[in-house]
Amino acid sequence: MLRLQVLYRPWRRPRAAGVSVQNPRRREVASGVSPPHTASSPRTLNLFDREMKRKQKNWAARQAEPMKYAYLREEVASQIADRIYDIARDFPIALDVGCGRGYIGQHLNKETVGKFIQTDIAENALKNTLEMEIPTYSVLADEEFLPFQENTFDLVVSSLSLHWVNDLPRALEQIHYVLKPDGVFIGAVFGGDTLYELRCSLQLAETEREGGFAPHVSPFTAVRDLGHLLGRAGFTTLTVDTDEIQVNYPGMFELMEDLQGMGESNCSWNRKPLLHRDTMLAAAAVYREMYKNEDGSLPATYQIYYMIGWKYHDSQSRPAERGSATMSFRELGDINRLVSQEKKSK
Amino acid sequence: MSAQGTVWGRVRARLRTFPERLAACGAEAAAYGRCVQASTAAGGSLTKDLCAQEFAALRSCFAAAKKTTKGC
Repeated sequence: MLRLQVLYRPWRRPRAAGVSVQNPRRREVASGVSPPHTASSPRTLNLFDREMKRKQKNWAARQAEPMKYAYLREEVASQIADRIYDIARDFPIALDVGCGRGYIGQHLNKETVGKFIQTDIAENALKNTLEMEIPTYSVLADEEFLPFQENTFDLVVSSLSLHWVNDLPRALEQIHYVLKPDGVFIGAVFGGDTLYELRCSLQLAETEREGGFAPHVSPFTAVRDLGHLLGRAGFTTLTVDTDEIQVNYPGMFELMEDLQGMGESNCSWNRKPLLHRDTMLAAAAVYREMYKNEDGSLPATYQIYYMIGWKYHDSQSRPAERGSATMSFRELGDINRLVSQEKKSK
Repeated sequence: MSAQGTVWGRVRARLRTFPERLAACGAEAAAYGRCVQASTAAGGSLTKDLCAQEFAALRSCFAAAKKTTKGC
C-alpha cells in the first residue's frame, strides 16, 4: 500500500530560533532563503514536474467554462476569507501564493486589505482573474521562488496550491521571510484523506487487472508534519484545523474530468503515463460498488487543513517564565472567593 | 486542445461515452465490484485476475452497449 504520510520526515538538526542571516547579500529576496539544513543536502525533493503543472493549470484556466470546476476552490477561499475577517486587524499589503483566478481576493474588502498581490505559475489564470474591489497586482511567480524582499507583507494567504510544491519546508521558509514581524500566514492544503475513495479504487482495480499498481493520487502532508514544518519555518502561535468536504459525483469518470478541469491532474515524475481502459472500467465498477451513496451517486472526500501561523514580534504574548506563578491549581476550587476578594481590595 | 478531428479529440470523445455505457452494465459492474470488495475482507488477498470472469462479463457488456446519442 502506498504510504502517503512518510513524505516529510523531521530534520535531524534543529534550527536555532529566528532566521539566521548567514549571508545577507544572498537573501535579498525570498528565493535566496537557504533550506533549514546543511548546504550539501541529499534530500532535495523533486517529486513534481512543475513545468507540467504549469501547462495543466494554463490549460485548465483556458477552459470554456472555468467556473464549472471552481466549486472546491471557491469554498475553500471563502473559508480562508472568513479566517481573515476573524483576525481583528487590517492588512495594508497582502500576498496570495498560488492564487488561481483570484478566488480569495473576491471575498475581501478595502477596509481589511489595502493592496493585494497575487502570484501563480500559470499566466492564463492571472489573465482571467475574477472581479475584486481591492487594487490587485498579478505577478507570475513560482511558489518556491518568491521574488519579494524580506518583511514586505502583513498577510500571506495560500489556498490549495502548496500540495504541488516540491520543497514545502523551503516554500514555508520563504513565506516566513517575506512576512513582516507580526504578520500572519493563512493557508489551506489538502490532507491525507483526500480522494481516498479514488485512490483505493484505482489501486484495487490495477492490482486485479495488471498485477501491481502505480500511485495516481499525489502524496499529501499529514497534520503532524504540517505543524512541524510550520514550526521549523519559524512561525509561532500555530493553528491547524481540518475540514472535510464531500462532493457527490455521478460516476468516477465525471470525478476525473472535474479534477482535470480544476488543474489538479497528476504531475509527479513517477506517474504512469497511461491508464488502461480496462483498468479505468474496473476502477469505476469497484468505486461504485464500494463507496456509492443511497441515491446512486459516488462521494469524493476532500480533506482540507487550514493553518494559521504568525511571524514573531515582541508585542505578541509569550508563555510565562517558569516559576512566575502566583497561584496554585489547588486554589482552583476557591476561585469565586478569591475573585471577589480581589474585587473588594481594588 | 479541443480540436475535434485530432487524435486527442477523438480519444476524449470516446472517453466521454464511458459513463453512459457503464451505466448500461450496472449488474455486471456490481458483480465485479463485489468480487473485488470480497477480496479486501480479512483473510482474502487480491491477486492478478482474481475476478477475471466477472471482468470478462463486464467488458463484453460494455463493448456491446451502444451509446444512445449518435455522433462524436
